[in-house]
Amino acid sequence: MGPAASVDAGLAIAGATVLAAGGGLAACRGGLRSGLAVQAAGMALLGAAGVGVLTGAAATGSAFRSTVAPAFGLDPLSGFFLAVLALTGVPTLVFARDHLPGSPGARGVAALTAGFLLALTGVLAARDVTTFLALWELMTVVPAAAILVARRDATVRAAIYRYLAITHLGGAGVWVALLVLQRHGAIGDPAALAAAGSGAQTLVAIAALIGFGTKAGLVPLHSWLPRAHPVAPAHLSALMSGMMIKVALYGLIRVEFQWLGATPRWLGITLIAVGLLSSLGGVLWALVQHDLKRLLAYHSIENVGIIALGLGASLLLADAGATTWAAIAFAAALLHVANHAIFKALLFLGAGAFARAVGSLDLDHLGGLLRRMPWTGGAFLIGSMAIAGLPPLNGFASEWLVLQSLLHAALHRPVGVALAAGVALAGLAATAALALLCFVKVVGLALLGSPRRPECAAATDPPIGMRAAMVVLAGLCVVLGLVPGVVLPTLARLAPGGAAGVAARHAGLDLPGTGSYPAVALAIALVVLTAGLARLRGSRRAAPAPAWACGQPVVAELNWTSAAFTKPLRLVLEVVLRPQRTLEVVRGGGMVQQITYSGHVPSLVDALLYEPAIRAGLRLAAVARRLQTGNVRTYAAYLLGLVIALLTLARTGAL
Amino acid sequence: MTAPATVVEILGVVLAPLLPGCIQTLKARLQGRRGPSPLQPYRTLARLWSKSAVDPEGTTVVYRIVPPLVAACLIIALLIVPIAGRGAGLGLGHDALVLLGVLALARFAIAAAAWDTGSGFALMGAARDLMIAVFGEALLVLALLVAALAAGGTDLRAMSAAGAGEHVWSSPAHWCGAIAFALVILVETGRQPIDNPDTHLELTMIHEGPLLEYAGRDLAFLQWAAAARHWVVLVLGAELFLPHGRGFAAGLVVLAAEVAALCAALAVVETNQAKMRLLRVPALLGVGCAIALAGAGLSIGGVGI
Repeated sequence: MGPAASVDAGLAIAGATVLAAGGGLAACRGGLRSGLAVQAAGMALLGAAGVGVLTGAAATGSAFRSTVAPAFGLDPLSGFFLAVLALTGVPTLVFARDHLPGSPGARGVAALTAGFLLALTGVLAARDVTTFLALWELMTVVPAAAILVARRDATVRAAIYRYLAITHLGGAGVWVALLVLQRHGAIGDPAALAAAGSGAQTLVAIAALIGFGTKAGLVPLHSWLPRAHPVAPAHLSALMSGMMIKVALYGLIRVEFQWLGATPRWLGITLIAVGLLSSLGGVLWALVQHDLKRLLAYHSIENVGIIALGLGASLLLADAGATTWAAIAFAAALLHVANHAIFKALLFLGAGAFARAVGSLDLDHLGGLLRRMPWTGGAFLIGSMAIAGLPPLNGFASEWLVLQSLLHAALHRPVGVALAAGVALAGLAATAALALLCFVKVVGLALLGSPRRPECAAATDPPIGMRAAMVVLAGLCVVLGLVPGVVLPTLARLAPGGAAGVAARHAGLDLPGTGSYPAVALAIALVVLTAGLARLRGSRRAAPAPAWACGQPVVAELNWTSAAFTKPLRLVLEVVLRPQRTLEVVRGGGMVQQITYSGHVPSLVDALLYEPAIRAGLRLAAVARRLQTGNVRTYAAYLLGLVIALLTLARTGAL
Repeated sequence: MTAPATVVEILGVVLAPLLPGCIQTLKARLQGRRGPSPLQPYRTLARLWSKSAVDPEGTTVVYRIVPPLVAACLIIALLIVPIAGRGAGLGLGHDALVLLGVLALARFAIAAAAWDTGSGFALMGAARDLMIAVFGEALLVLALLVAALAAGGTDLRAMSAAGAGEHVWSSPAHWCGAIAFALVILVETGRQPIDNPDTHLELTMIHEGPLLEYAGRDLAFLQWAAAARHWVVLVLGAELFLPHGRGFAAGLVVLAAEVAALCAALAVVETNQAKMRLLRVPALLGVGCAIALAGAGLSIGGVGI
């Protein structure tokens, strides 16, 4: 271990200790705010360690091992995820410092937040199977506990139950994959599993995809995500959506890219298919949501899908022998990991600030908040534009890279694989357009126009800490959007094949053999031209007039709603979305007295996959219950039967 | 040798309104009317420029910043699209996907302004525009994919070069891409059968709807942007999928002739076609996607090259 590596190790240990101390302090009476500040400091130290390991490209601590002795260490890939964790974690904790006091169970939530962050860090730093699995389970359970400390009503309990049930059922895949790897001594040693044969490889690949995919929220294993994320306190939603699902992707990358040995081609195609399903499905169901946090949670599924598309393209390109482009696709996926963590944390924190100011997150109850909460609103606008994939922000840079990767995957034979990449390319373009539609809706309903409720008219910006957290995250969206080329070579080095061919020619993206995205020049041109044209226009204005509504007075209650704006798309995609609507008209005395309308879009996956599965499970349980009569004589008969069967087997020599 | 191309691209800012003007004139002649002069858009812009703008009540800074922002996006788009195979050396690159992003930014801005006014007509238009854009974007990417596969990348200059020469005309992939891009032109220019630019009925507006509240110089910017959109897609279509002239001067002449021919084709289509039902547009664009995908498959399979 070199001196730089030992500095990183020291930083990491100090950071974890400070984080734990902050958690303890937050649990004490009167120590809530200072405890969260200490936690933020600890997280920053951990982030510094992560950046050190990432840029130094040298591992510190223990290496991966297939023994059961607990071991911790960091390598550049862990370092990258740790740095992203700090980038989102520190502002989130600063936000929580002003947001949490006064909310129910604040001290418990704050202490558990430290536990959650430690578990996330621990999963990234674990270097053996037992530590990894133990911390993996903690990472699942701790946020559930924190949510239950804050809220305990029936909806929350149902959501948490579903979250724990699905992530544990699916999460069994993680156990299977890691224990099989352990058995073959293949943790950190790709050659070992290759020697074990393709059967074990296939088993590990599928089990890891199911296990980590469930936790990452890939369709069709996503059903828990849009339920569990919205019920959490704002800063926990930000951490869960921003980081927890990314740590699952970290596990996926470890197993599928590093420990599997030769990756089969079907895995790349499967990742592309699942990614496409997740990105399109996530954004489509996000569109028809009317609750801001739920909508954001569905967008996490979309973005995990985009990351999976990048990873799949990387596997296909590596399979075709295009190592440089395989590394670029891998880096594209990682860049999107960082970008999504940042803007999703920003958006969830913004939603928290709106909820605090207005008391509701129903999109139809907001409105006009940009004028009344300029800091929050401005940051939220930047985050929305970033997640909608608009230049010159960070979402566009990584989506541009993923699109380029898919296009280059389409350049290689066999034709079937190339066509799959082509379909994914079109699907990703449609996803981007759908995300744009969705976030225009969010921005329009929440920030623009006139307030729909008196609470919105009275809303004000939150305290300085919350504002600062959101402004810093918005600033990161802009900076990462302007200089993606600076980060890209570092990320490309993390790819399994490595990449010497990816060098930064300028701060934007300039890749071998394709077009370039000069982010800085584009941003300057946009700003200068817009400012110039605005100046050219001058400020001559007539008196303000009401908007044209065929001569009717403009009433805020009659404004367009979230459902109205997506109506054309709902009609066109009726086959997929299957919207349900009920209209009840009460007539009395020849007049319509009352009209009740309700409409909602059920989740197709829930209706087609989970409900039959639950029904089948209950039916099986009913059958199994018949065996349990409670009568001692029946059990004695079972025992007798067992003994006779065993004796018969022993007699025939089968045992 | 980028200087002349730069000049033409910057001239595009001035020349763009000529395209919808020509289409309107030709359409009127085809319908037996005398119609306005091709210079009518310039007169409209001049008239708007001398009028004052109006802010609807309750709007924010977003409403005010959108017209210059949209115009800036379209200027950048004009500079990204190469002319006769050459690009302006202004450092903005010539990437097809960046072009897509810039156009998406303009679309976002216009829809956000519609929300800011809160006007039902504006929002109706914006909602429809964005719905069509979902399918239009997929179609555009697939059409670009066909050209990019031939070029091996998304640099528009390389894609234009890959569409030059005689041999491409024996490639069925190129034809598939051209057909798909023809549909893209209809979508992006907002012409019949997708949208009707001549409508004065608010309920039927798509692209015009979000502009309803704007007046004066703001409206001038947005109308210029609509004209510039014609320029961008028509020039791009000609560059990628129609024959090229040898050398810059010849290329310029051929390009001008092709853009004129495309304008004439748009006028003929508008005269012959009624506007389609909105909910059937995605089916049309879906067919386009299938054709483009077939083209991509043929290109990857190496048929006819």
